[in-house]
Amino acid sequence: MNPLVQRLRRELFATPFDALISIGLITALLVAAAALLKWALFQAQWAVIQANSTLFAVGRYPADQQWRLWLLTALLAAATGLSWGLLRATPRAGRPERLWPRNDRLAVAILLALALLVPLGLGLQLPIQVRWWLIAAVLVGLRWASGRWAGLLSAASLALVPLLWPVLYLLGMVLISGGLGLIQVPPSEWGGLLLTLIQASFAILLCFPLGVLLALGRRSTLPLLRWGSVLYIEFIRGAPLITLLFLGQNILGFLLPGGMTPERVWRAAWVLTLFAAAYVAEAVRSGLAAVPSGQLEAARSLGLSVPRALVHVVLPQALRVALPATVGQFISLLQDTTLLSLIGLLELLGTARTVMANPAFLGKNAEVYLVLAVLFWCCCAALGLGSRALETRLNTHPSPTATSQA
Amino acid sequence: MTSSTNHGNPIHGDTSDGPVMIEARGVEKWYPNGFHALRGVDLTVRQGEVVVVMGPSGSGKSTFIRTFNALEDFQKGSIVVDGIPLANDVRQIDAVRREVGMVFQQFNLFPHLTVLENLTLAPVLVRKRPTAEVERQALELLERVGIHEQARKYPGQLSGGQQQRVAIARSLCMEPRILLFDEPTSALDPEMVQEVLAVMQELARDGMTMVVVTHEVRFARQVASRVVLMAEGQVVEEAPPEQFFTNPQHPRSRQFLSQIA
Repeated sequence: MNPLVQRLRRELFATPFDALISIGLITALLVAAAALLKWALFQAQWAVIQANSTLFAVGRYPADQQWRLWLLTALLAAATGLSWGLLRATPRAGRPERLWPRNDRLAVAILLALALLVPLGLGLQLPIQVRWWLIAAVLVGLRWASGRWAGLLSAASLALVPLLWPVLYLLGMVLISGGLGLIQVPPSEWGGLLLTLIQASFAILLCFPLGVLLALGRRSTLPLLRWGSVLYIEFIRGAPLITLLFLGQNILGFLLPGGMTPERVWRAAWVLTLFAAAYVAEAVRSGLAAVPSGQLEAARSLGLSVPRALVHVVLPQALRVALPATVGQFISLLQDTTLLSLIGLLELLGTARTVMANPAFLGKNAEVYLVLAVLFWCCCAALGLGSRALETRLNTHPSPTATSQA
Repeated sequence: MTSSTNHGNPIHGDTSDGPVMIEARGVEKWYPNGFHALRGVDLTVRQGEVVVVMGPSGSGKSTFIRTFNALEDFQKGSIVVDGIPLANDVRQIDAVRREVGMVFQQFNLFPHLTVLENLTLAPVLVRKRPTAEVERQALELLERVGIHEQARKYPGQLSGGQQQRVAIARSLCMEPRILLFDEPTSALDPEMVQEVLAVMQELARDGMTMVVVTHEVRFARQVASRVVLMAEGQVVEEAPPEQFFTNPQHPRSRQFLSQIA
């Protein structure tokens, strides 16, 4: 008998009860898929996406300045391809890595297919389609080239590669907002996916160090520091984000003179950061608790000061344990940016609501929400994939508890 | 208490007039829950001596040697280590810790660092020595404890006995003047005990000042300058190993020896 049939029989139809459940689920899935496909192909009117694609992508960012965003996207693609290739080409001790593992080939295939088909399917103008193809080509090309010729780089220059990212982040902020000879584009003109990503990346980058400090504060022997951290974490975790966002707009409004609306974007980013930091702190705390006390004792008995013992011995182990929970927090943070639409910021959801309020696109909610959901899913999936890759790479040693039991 | 006038170390001769490395006087400790762990303990350790501390569990022997590098604090009495009085001054505590190495029951190697990085971390960070020089010394030390071919592995890839030898090498890499051992073989599988004891014996032969909490009678007989028996937070007997094991003076010692024999 065909091995596939054998496997299906074993996994889906082993017992009458299994068969019943399988048949029920498969029927439901087929019906739902057919309905979705029928709707997507014959009923849905994708003109609403086509006509507003720029709005969804960048909001009201001035058209004559949008080249800056294209440049930034290309730079990000280049940095991704470069880091990715070098990562694969430099194996870690005890764990040889292949230059082109199966998952990487799959990822590249999906990426190329998306870059080719999505702009085509959305019916974007040809120049824009070409730009997406070029960006994808830059990413994949550098992935290939840097993996192939990584050996030509010295160890010192390889160590500089991670620095590329903070530099690129700062450069990106300049490209987006202006300065250094570029025309200023105020935050009030940022929108759509651009604003969502700015908010999320700002909050993710800042909430992490803050969360680590709070977690350490919570375990500190200094009572003032400990109680301050506990109070902060518990207060934030006890309040819904939306109330904090309103509170942030109002409190900062009291402190600052009125009419400073452009600042709203940054106020919201700070509230998101401070909110997420409390949750990251709890994730890191569980990581700290997983590191045996003997680790700190050993580091101290070797003469390391407490800060050094934390940085070199305790935190590297704790953060590895805390990584999955922390990334989970980052993913909800990304999704929480949709709440900003409720305080009047035109990020993805806010943009979608203005589009749907336009009489020309009345009743096209399903199309818009579906695209929104797919966009968010893509971003979250990327975060999740990145975190899993990082976990595998850091997993060169058993967990701290396992070693101390050895 | 039986005080001994013979400070001879059976494997490297007389140390009775060497400089005092550890001087503990009337050390008392209460745990925060009120438990009186140390009840006025005295001990003098001279340079090159190997002092083996024995006693039933809960007798305070681990707590006592952990006060020597301030992993435990104490409320009364005084401890002077290598001329530095242990007070609550952080700088003095750090100074003492640089000179006193410690080997733990659970090894406490850093699992996220390679064996070599475990050895070089503290000398580079604390002693500010150049990395290349420390690495050379670390490889020599690993060779001395017989595991230099494992230098690039992670601790989790080694056996318990190998891990404990790495831990000893890690302490030695800081070039300490005193080494403390807190039940170094208690967490090991029986067939790995000997390889660790052999390394310790060699250290003793080279003149390292050592305070060892252990239940290994053979090690104590062959290597110790003196054996100290602790019970209920006090030193009940202190004697050269031959005398301690063949003719113990204190009834508590006789009881303990009959239990471990």
